[in-house]
Amino acid sequence: MNKKVFLIFVVICFVVIGILPILFMLAKSVNVDGHFSLFFYKNFMNSRREWTLIGNSFTLSFLTALFTTIIGLPLGILFAKTDLPLKKLFTILFTIPLLIPPYITAISWFDLLGREGLLSKIINPAMAEITSKWLFGLPGCVLILFSTFLPIVILLTITFLKTINPRLEEAGKLVSGWPGVLKGITIPLIMPGLLLASILVFLLTLGELGVPTFLRYDVFPVESFTQFSAFYNFGAATAAAVPLVIITLIVLVIERIFLRDKTYQLHPAVGGDKSSTINLGVYRKWFLIIVVLLCFCSIILPFLVLLFHSFSAGVYKEALSRAGDSLFRSVAYAAIGASALAVLGFFLGYLIHSKTFRFWRAIDSLTIFLFALSGTIIGIGLINLWNRPATNFIYASPVIIIFGYLAQYTALTSRITVSTLAQIPSSMEEAAQVSGAKWIRRITLITAPMAKRGLIAGWLVGYIFCLRDMGVTMLVYPPGHDTFPVRIFTLMANGSTELIAALCVIMIIATLLPLGIGGILFKLRGFIK
Amino acid sequence: MSIIEFKNVSKYYNETPVIQNFSMKIDAGEKIVILGQSGCGKTTVLRLLAGFISPDSGEIIIDNQIVAAEGKIIKEPEERNLGMVFQDLALWPHLSVKGNLEFGLKAKGVQKSKREKYIPEMLKLMQMEKSVHAKPAELSGGQQQRVALARALILHPEILIMDEPLSSLDQDLNVRLRKEILKLQKKIGFALLYVTHDREEAFDIGSRIIVMKDGKIERIGSSEKIKKYFG
Repeated sequence: MNKKVFLIFVVICFVVIGILPILFMLAKSVNVDGHFSLFFYKNFMNSRREWTLIGNSFTLSFLTALFTTIIGLPLGILFAKTDLPLKKLFTILFTIPLLIPPYITAISWFDLLGREGLLSKIINPAMAEITSKWLFGLPGCVLILFSTFLPIVILLTITFLKTINPRLEEAGKLVSGWPGVLKGITIPLIMPGLLLASILVFLLTLGELGVPTFLRYDVFPVESFTQFSAFYNFGAATAAAVPLVIITLIVLVIERIFLRDKTYQLHPAVGGDKSSTINLGVYRKWFLIIVVLLCFCSIILPFLVLLFHSFSAGVYKEALSRAGDSLFRSVAYAAIGASALAVLGFFLGYLIHSKTFRFWRAIDSLTIFLFALSGTIIGIGLINLWNRPATNFIYASPVIIIFGYLAQYTALTSRITVSTLAQIPSSMEEAAQVSGAKWIRRITLITAPMAKRGLIAGWLVGYIFCLRDMGVTMLVYPPGHDTFPVRIFTLMANGSTELIAALCVIMIIATLLPLGIGGILFKLRGFIK
Repeated sequence: MSIIEFKNVSKYYNETPVIQNFSMKIDAGEKIVILGQSGCGKTTVLRLLAGFISPDSGEIIIDNQIVAAEGKIIKEPEERNLGMVFQDLALWPHLSVKGNLEFGLKAKGVQKSKREKYIPEMLKLMQMEKSVHAKPAELSGGQQQRVALARALILHPEILIMDEPLSSLDQDLNVRLRKEILKLQKKIGFALLYVTHDREEAFDIGSRIIVMKDGKIERIGSSEKIKKYFG
């Protein structure tokens, strides 16, 4: 098949699955009883509550982005450039909260700091009363989303540090110590990457539904979700969603204008992995103590509490009997979703990398836009588009969930593909071309096998994000097809705390197990040094 | 009779001319070297001939057929029956030596029985029989060059294009492989279009040399004539 024809087909699939639902949603928000009307928007503009929600959303997103950047940058530098002991282990540990649904982290903190949490039993109930008040509200939301999104800043800092030519730092080292080099050379060089990480955290926090719902902090996605699920008011739900769409667009346009060319393709610098290590000297043990304390307090302790809480007779058995079916479904849907994401992301990544069409930048921006958009909005858009008799076979089946995954997470696999393809010389495909191979043959026998590391990594990342998804799934799942995160969220209303803790532990294992197996296989096959 | 012809070909990148009004002909079995400094446009000529890029103006003709003209690629690279050795060799790292050679044969629909015959023959010609199952990373620089050459020649192209293939090798190996290429060219009889910035290499290989500067042909003539020109 012709390359351009095939890639156009892929683009059409992406537009139908990801973009069309959003456009439909926007169109429906200005349609009242079959006529154009700005009724919902007028209501929205005149409502003081909506403005409060915008303020809340902004405050939460800003504070989360600020704290993750302030803490994530030094941690990223510590893990990437210093002789800190166990830095690889710390990187993995700090990444765990990103891999599980954020509301599970919220539950674990609730089990620790809530009115009847562990703290009230160990210290005293009065203390727990204060911490509980603190947890339910802005500080609690910031704390949980901080630990959830901190890995984004850490990992991007590590990644961008690897793109720096070590000679640049060495030239600085001739005239300055490491603090001066970091301040004057290293950090300014990775600043675009750092800003990108902050923007991502800001947007992901802006779209987060689970944590604010659980901690009863009113933000915009919650309003959209409530209008839709509690009042079934599509118009109000979409009107409430539009400001988020606009904010996401504005932030991404700013990112595009100022950062895109600086952060677009990540090429590891020659010798980037051999850059000189910062010797922490006498400060080594102090840095280690700080990192251990931060890791223990923000990651290990809450999960230990969860584990501790779930240790009661028969609770895991009950958990599996009440949610085992949804766990099985979740794993299956995540595997299917990840496979579809790997394929769609690969071809879109190929299109972006090879700049096959003039609109390659638009495709790239749209995938990022959808990734940054709240899952609630994508969910509402999908329902708007597919909930009609002719397409009921999609709407009433798990296909709608897979569509949701594809709409939201294609950016992950397409970006991984772009980075992978950037490391494969174009001459590889050209050599296949002069050997007489048509495009499909070149892609399947040369490019894809050479990019298999990126494909597998993309699949794993896709699997994890599909498995942890709640924003889209919560809205679109057909009856009898709820996923594990959704089931836990539903059971939270009437299940015992022990049961919920056990379900959360199972969720964490289901997420980390394939990642661990994948990591071991990658290592055995020499993909990871 | 010429098998390749460039007629007033120009190519621009971001409105900057890379090659301008470039015209040349290559006859069957001829050895032509394009000589020039980095950035003079010599690799662009090869990429135009291979069909990876299209000329903004002018025509490229292979076997009396226009294959590219005025911004359009009429015949895709896979349909041009050219052999090419890339500067970085572009050996597919996930395929063995045999896999690298077999890929093009399969793409052209050559039957298995014939493939089983051609590959050992070609490897014998290159003195690479023992490395048939080796992956490119397991081979020395010289062996990798031979595999790249074998991969390009196994499809019996009328013309072999070589883009500074020996530039990364040490002087001894460079000279030895040059001789091997010439021996093969004499034996098989393909036309050779060779690009280099090294004068000695150019005089050694080419029967005709095209000297390029700033995207234009500065001088064209026999090896001896160009040698004299450079003094």
